[in-house]
Amino acid sequence: MGRILRAWLAGLAALAALGAAAAARPDDELAIGITQFPSTLHPSIDVMAAKSYILAMARRPITTFDAEWRLVCMLCTQLPTIENGLAVPIALPDGGQGIRVTYTLQPRARWGDGVPVSTEDVRFTWEVGRQPQSGLANAELYRRIADVEVKDDKTFTFVMNKLDFDYAAVNDFELLPAHLERAAFADPAHYRLHTLYDTDPTNPGLYFGPYRITEVAPGSHVVLDRNPTWWGKPPEFRRIVVWTVENTTALEANLLAGGLDMVAGELGFSLDQGLAFAKRHGDRFNVLFKPSLGYEHVDLNLDNPILADRRVRRALLYGIDREAISRQLFAGRQPVADSFVSPLDWVFTDAVPNCPYDPARARALLEEAGWQGEGIRRNAAGETLALELATTAGNRIRELVEQVLQSQWREIGIEVHLKNLPPRVLFGDSLVKRKFTMAMFAWISAPENVPRAMLRSDEIPTPGNGLAGENFTGFRNEEADRLIDAIEVALDRDRRAGLWHSLEALYAEALPALPLFFRADAYVLPRWLKGVVPTGHQYPTTLWIEDWRVAKDMATR
Amino acid sequence: MTRFILLRLLQVLAVLAVMSFIIYALIGLMPGDPINLMLASDPHLTAADVARLKALQGLDQPLLKRYLAWAQAALAGNFGYSRLYATTAIAALAPRLANTALLMGVSFALSLVIALPLGAMAARRPAGALDTAANLLSFAGISVPPFWLALVLILVFAVALGWLPAGGIATIGDGGFLDRARHLALPVTVLTLASIGGYLRYMRASMIEALRQDYIRTARAKGAGEARVLWGHALRNALVPVITVVALSFGSLFSGALITETMFAYPGMGKLIYDAILGNDFNLALAGLLFATLLVLLSNLAADIAYAAADPRITYR
Amino acid sequence: MRLILRALGHARIAWSGAVLLLLALAAAAAPGVAALIGADGDRVDLYQRLAPPSLAHPLGTDELGRDLLLRLLDGGRVSLLVGIAAALAAAGIGTMVGLGAGYRGGRLDAALMRLTDGIIALPLLPLLVVLAAIDLKKLGLPGWAVQSEAASLYRIIALVALVGWTTVARLVRGATLSLRAQDFVRAAVALGASPLRVMLVHILPNLASPVIVATTLSVGHIILLESVLSYLGLGIEPPLPSWGNMLTGAQETIGLAPQLALYPGLLIFLTVIACNFLGDGLQDALDPRARRR
Repeated sequence: MGRILRAWLAGLAALAALGAAAAARPDDELAIGITQFPSTLHPSIDVMAAKSYILAMARRPITTFDAEWRLVCMLCTQLPTIENGLAVPIALPDGGQGIRVTYTLQPRARWGDGVPVSTEDVRFTWEVGRQPQSGLANAELYRRIADVEVKDDKTFTFVMNKLDFDYAAVNDFELLPAHLERAAFADPAHYRLHTLYDTDPTNPGLYFGPYRITEVAPGSHVVLDRNPTWWGKPPEFRRIVVWTVENTTALEANLLAGGLDMVAGELGFSLDQGLAFAKRHGDRFNVLFKPSLGYEHVDLNLDNPILADRRVRRALLYGIDREAISRQLFAGRQPVADSFVSPLDWVFTDAVPNCPYDPARARALLEEAGWQGEGIRRNAAGETLALELATTAGNRIRELVEQVLQSQWREIGIEVHLKNLPPRVLFGDSLVKRKFTMAMFAWISAPENVPRAMLRSDEIPTPGNGLAGENFTGFRNEEADRLIDAIEVALDRDRRAGLWHSLEALYAEALPALPLFFRADAYVLPRWLKGVVPTGHQYPTTLWIEDWRVAKDMATR
Repeated sequence: MTRFILLRLLQVLAVLAVMSFIIYALIGLMPGDPINLMLASDPHLTAADVARLKALQGLDQPLLKRYLAWAQAALAGNFGYSRLYATTAIAALAPRLANTALLMGVSFALSLVIALPLGAMAARRPAGALDTAANLLSFAGISVPPFWLALVLILVFAVALGWLPAGGIATIGDGGFLDRARHLALPVTVLTLASIGGYLRYMRASMIEALRQDYIRTARAKGAGEARVLWGHALRNALVPVITVVALSFGSLFSGALITETMFAYPGMGKLIYDAILGNDFNLALAGLLFATLLVLLSNLAADIAYAAADPRITYR
Repeated sequence: MRLILRALGHARIAWSGAVLLLLALAAAAAPGVAALIGADGDRVDLYQRLAPPSLAHPLGTDELGRDLLLRLLDGGRVSLLVGIAAALAAAGIGTMVGLGAGYRGGRLDAALMRLTDGIIALPLLPLLVVLAAIDLKKLGLPGWAVQSEAASLYRIIALVALVGWTTVARLVRGATLSLRAQDFVRAAVALGASPLRVMLVHILPNLASPVIVATTLSVGHIILLESVLSYLGLGIEPPLPSWGNMLTGAQETIGLAPQLALYPGLLIFLTVIACNFLGDGLQDALDPRARRR
């Protein structure tokens, strides 16, 4: 008996002894943690932040916005403008205006298998994008490009059937390798199933960036190694491993335990987690907080009889102390919003009507709108002033903010019920079907993004238009429609700025939504890593990964 | 016996068929469909695009019709295409199943290795020191929130002490036996602590029952040594009901351990099914859930058979 | 020896019962405590975030400046309510199914037991995830039940009851089968008692002890399950506090404010382990064979 017990204990001890010293990772490898795994690696199927983050290291768009929010060339050699003659406005047969825009691809750009990136790829990509059955995102971009004229192997012209101020921006035109993908596209309806990006994602010929994907472990990690055919500045790290750890607490633990070098700001810690982390581990890590143009706001359903009254909407805004929330919860890292345009955007103006915290004013407005009484207010018909606020379940920051809003609104006599929904339910159901009363979420877009889909009166989703459009509030304003149309075609910057300022003022005056904050992201970097510049918009830091460097005076990791 | 097994096998299939419909219908009851989700992420889709996409995925058909079409394809081994993983549902499942089999298999084996001997020994002297300790261990194990335990283990062993990795399945470029084992250590500990309790208490109760039987008294009266009585006579008899419980729990191993997998970033079945459900990946969720259900039903059957085979008093007609 | 065993068994019942009673009383007294220290568990105070313990806030405040003690008491009320209500509902369903199946036998028995098998075979957690995500409006439930803030509370109780009754059903069926064959039941049937009367008057009282034991044990399981569902974002929704969602909410800032995670975690552990010990003690005390020892 004793013998058996001892043998058994010894066996258990042997098992427990397996934990040897942690294996060190090689110095020339960078391990990045993110919270999402991409569902596909095809650059134009599904829009997903994790995919953009990873692919930005392995491919480059023709144009993009840089960290100063200027449009720049990445795969092209010179940004076409009307002034330099590479963009030429034309009259369209139907009487409208279009534009011909000419780009030249980087002469040394080659796919990872050595085949040059050429205008054949441009043409092929356009064909795939135009084919309705291929299921690519950004259908609008492909519709806008009426024709592609090929001049030689590297130079081509897009014939746009619309003359917008952002005519040169083709950020989402993601080149596909014609020599590899043409076979998969033979049957367009099944292109999604046959594309090599999913069936053979480590094929070197699919990538042409500083890195190429060499291993994909679904749900776990993606490995990127240096791409020998990269034409630009050689990147510092031999290998990048992007790990997916969905639980942010586990993500933090992995970072502290040394399994990860950094956590991406684009898809990483929540802001208060980042703030707490900076306080405790600021000596080991650099934590950068970058306000983005992610516009956190509460969409108000204007078809709701209570919310249809602008006085109530203003009272709602006067009743909440956004300054205090920003200061106390977010250490001032998330600037308060008064309209949907970020202060970092050049078209921003602060000359808009605003509603700073003023509970007395809020109460007066509610009285005026017929909502009276002690405690929760009632109107003449005896109905209580009760509203429902929905947001994405599991988003900790929003869950904190909504509880503050609820508490502050209760103080002025408005009863608000919280209802948190899984993101797919909120976005895929409540909002598009306009079944919500108030909903807190964010718009994330590019700089100077025209809010056509969010604010134009013909973009209200209805069963009649197949639920297309993102004007969930049901905002109908002729002046706003006119301004949006005018902004799109105003080529002159000064004139456009004026139009933008009018639109921002109109929005802040009409209040189809309650502006809250511009979201800030926490980028957690090791002290020895330099050159990571948060952009604050939807295009990730990894587009400039070749600038990431190990600080010279901190060679020891 | 053969007839009994065949009959039960038929029943398994019938239950599976009914369950498949229930799961199918339940998933259909969830709000939001994938197309609406696509709409929300792409403001430029038109009404025509939407109708076309819905038709492409068969979402414009009534429930029963969709189910029958799905079942027909599934019977032919075609579980369709996973929206989330851009591959067939089976291809998405297979690697996860292997990971889960490893994680759950190790923890299952370890739980048994710890729980059965400990339970048997604890039964020798109920309320003795060993029994009290075993009791505390098993109660603590089943009373602690699993994500809390995982968090504490990560904080202690990965962050503070740095002995073990905090997550993942292997180091890139390594993946050797020791490396895999080190990655398994913490998740296995969480799962093992949570499952020891059940087995241990069952083993203990069964052993106490066995030690109370007349043949033990007889053996002792004949002067057999204590070890021989315990391990030779009592254990064999005590194991019969335990085997049934163990077999019953075996099937549920394959639905994975969602919480543990999430906390340790371990790509297994639990996380896969969860993601598929929340991501509106109908085909994958169905395939995963059905597969997990089938394994439970089969292990129930195995438990019945084991019981019948082990206990001559039970006859099946 | 036997006496010690019995005493130990009863001591276990006594202390675990006392712990549970104390927790339940404390939770029930939450409004009183609120009045006593003059605080409101729902009132957010941004300028009092994560305050250290003080006279006004005996345990300090949480990440939104709410009194932590009150949040814990309120959370306890929700967690215990979920645990007890769901366990009782599950026991009710299970007893009815088990009684019906065991007493009637035949086709009804076969059908009910196959149903039980089926539900046991379903992977529990994924199923709860599906059920938690179901749009109740699609089932035609009235607006008030779906809209109200406590909807997540009702939903979770209903869900757990719907899948949790199988253990009790099997127990009751087994016991009913053996009771049905006993003389006093046969006598009652011979005397012309209706089946319903036999089931309710003669059989049901004899089922009390296994059902009580199973229910006590399942209260603990359900409280644990609630914390897991809250962790997945499918449990009790804020601002309604439960120990599960408090623990979940605290984990991201655990380095800065460990007490926010420590207290709810400890309370869950304490409650669940007390339920388990109580159930176990009751089993020993009520089991006639244990008494024979």
